[in-house]
Amino acid sequence: MHVSLKKEIKQSHTGQAGLIILVLVIALAALAPFLSQYDPVQQSATSLLPPSISHWLGTNQVGQDIWSQLLYGARTSLMVGFGVGVLGLILGILFGVSAALIGGLYDKIVMRIVDAFIVIPMIVVVILVAAYIRPDLAVLILLLALLSWQGAARVIRAQALSLKEMGHINASRTFGASRFYLAWRHIVPDLGPILLVEFIYDVRRAVFIEAGLAFLGIGDPMLVSWGTMMHDAMKFSYLNVWQWWLVPAGVALSLTIVGLTFVSHAAESVLDPRLRGGAVA
Amino acid sequence: MTGKRSLTTYGIAFLFILALNFFLPRMMPGDPLTAIYGDEALVAMTPALKAHLVARFALDQPLWQQFTAYISTLFRGDMGWSYFYNASVLKVILGSLPWTLLVVGTSLVLATLLGIELGIESGWRRGSRTDRALLTGLMSLNGFPDFFLGLVLLIVFGVLLGVAPLSGALTPYSGLSGLALVLDVLKHMALPVAALTAAYLAGGYLLTRNTMITVLKSPFMLTARAKGLSQKTLKYRHAGRNSMLPVLTMTGIWLGRVVTGALFVELVFAYPGVGQLAYQALLARDYPVIQGVFLMVAISVLIVNFAVDLLYPKLDPRVSYAR
Repeated sequence: MHVSLKKEIKQSHTGQAGLIILVLVIALAALAPFLSQYDPVQQSATSLLPPSISHWLGTNQVGQDIWSQLLYGARTSLMVGFGVGVLGLILGILFGVSAALIGGLYDKIVMRIVDAFIVIPMIVVVILVAAYIRPDLAVLILLLALLSWQGAARVIRAQALSLKEMGHINASRTFGASRFYLAWRHIVPDLGPILLVEFIYDVRRAVFIEAGLAFLGIGDPMLVSWGTMMHDAMKFSYLNVWQWWLVPAGVALSLTIVGLTFVSHAAESVLDPRLRGGAVA
Repeated sequence: MTGKRSLTTYGIAFLFILALNFFLPRMMPGDPLTAIYGDEALVAMTPALKAHLVARFALDQPLWQQFTAYISTLFRGDMGWSYFYNASVLKVILGSLPWTLLVVGTSLVLATLLGIELGIESGWRRGSRTDRALLTGLMSLNGFPDFFLGLVLLIVFGVLLGVAPLSGALTPYSGLSGLALVLDVLKHMALPVAALTAAYLAGGYLLTRNTMITVLKSPFMLTARAKGLSQKTLKYRHAGRNSMLPVLTMTGIWLGRVVTGALFVELVFAYPGVGQLAYQALLARDYPVIQGVFLMVAISVLIVNFAVDLLYPKLDPRVSYAR
């Protein structure tokens, strides 16, 4: 486990490319108000304009500035992604570590639930729930997090079980450390790379599902989202507006997911050293 | 990972799916009749129909009896009545199921086979230019959401080049038969299948490549080399075959993804499968059909997963010894 995560990502070309893409998307999202003078939800009478100096990517069917929507759409994607990632990770650590440390019946029950949720197709569940309650941002994050923590919990439990038997943890236990102290001081910090891979996996899936729901038209209608943009633009695919409306939204979404994939692939080689070395990207 | 999931696991998953389908409409604010039967039912509502609908799911009874009523109707194969189509949900779904099965089945087979083959090539020549190109290319492709891939294919081949049909599964009113009909179906399914295959190719590829790299380092490969076996035998019979096993395990999980992917892709191509049906139902708030599709997709994914779990130890005897 003594492989530097930073070094590993730096050495991999795709890992670097992924980081650059992610930093770019985060920067666009953060600087959105400075990069566009338009409010992304402000409607105007000038609809379906082609790109021009004042509207870089033209306007959509209700006269909203598409470039501005693209920037604010990044905010939505990142918020959902990282919100779900963080929340899912917290739940995963909570259940994974506690199952490993407490063991017994509790462990059995938690793991049964985890297994059950892993075989249930998540997107289908989310679509069903969204069909009844059009979830807003907070509800969507909560819902996705509740369906996302199981993978992390399983991996974390396995890792915590093997860490539990290590010398320094035994030593700490004989000094009278409580279970909570053991978990927090000795087990969670050593889980680093695994947590990163699981985190990115959840983020990626959440970004994808948010866009997918919006694409189906069952997202939050008040939210500016790449999925909604594609949903609206698809109806006009017979016009040439797809060039500056549909494609930028789709490319932005795809690039974000590709960036996450690249970083997580580089991080995975930390977990499985057999995949390392050589001239492998 | 496999072999450990027991019947209990699937039981819990099954119960969760049933419970979600049962409680979700009943927890909605407002008249549960709307949430259960859809907007269209209200239009047709008469006092007699209302009494019938209430009695059907025992809506005037305590929650527990409602649940029993729900389960017992389900087990009779009765998935409800769609007031939008004025037909039973089962019939509505069965009508569009063949198209989805056709597209999903073809894509799953193509993506798996192609993924395994490319994974073997890539892992065998790890670090080479081919390997790096394949790895980067497929990982990037993996990031493209299936519906965006579909849209790009639709625009390029359908709109710009005009070589593929824009929507549907058949040319309407063409009266084709025989070979011409088969060709027409193939032509219509080419783009949806291409989009789904491209979106799910990377999964099998990455897994095969990773396993291939590990397998190539194992002692039995050294022995095989020492025996003087040909490169081809080493690559496919020894390393390749062993690298295929994990892919099989994942097929169950991928099936879930390809089916849901089909929901999105069918919408893009207006392909008349279950996805298109579900989308129309979402627009019309035809809740019985939404629930029916959900139930069918979720349960078929569970069944495939279970089948893979049962099959796996037979294919890889090491798993059953290890237990």
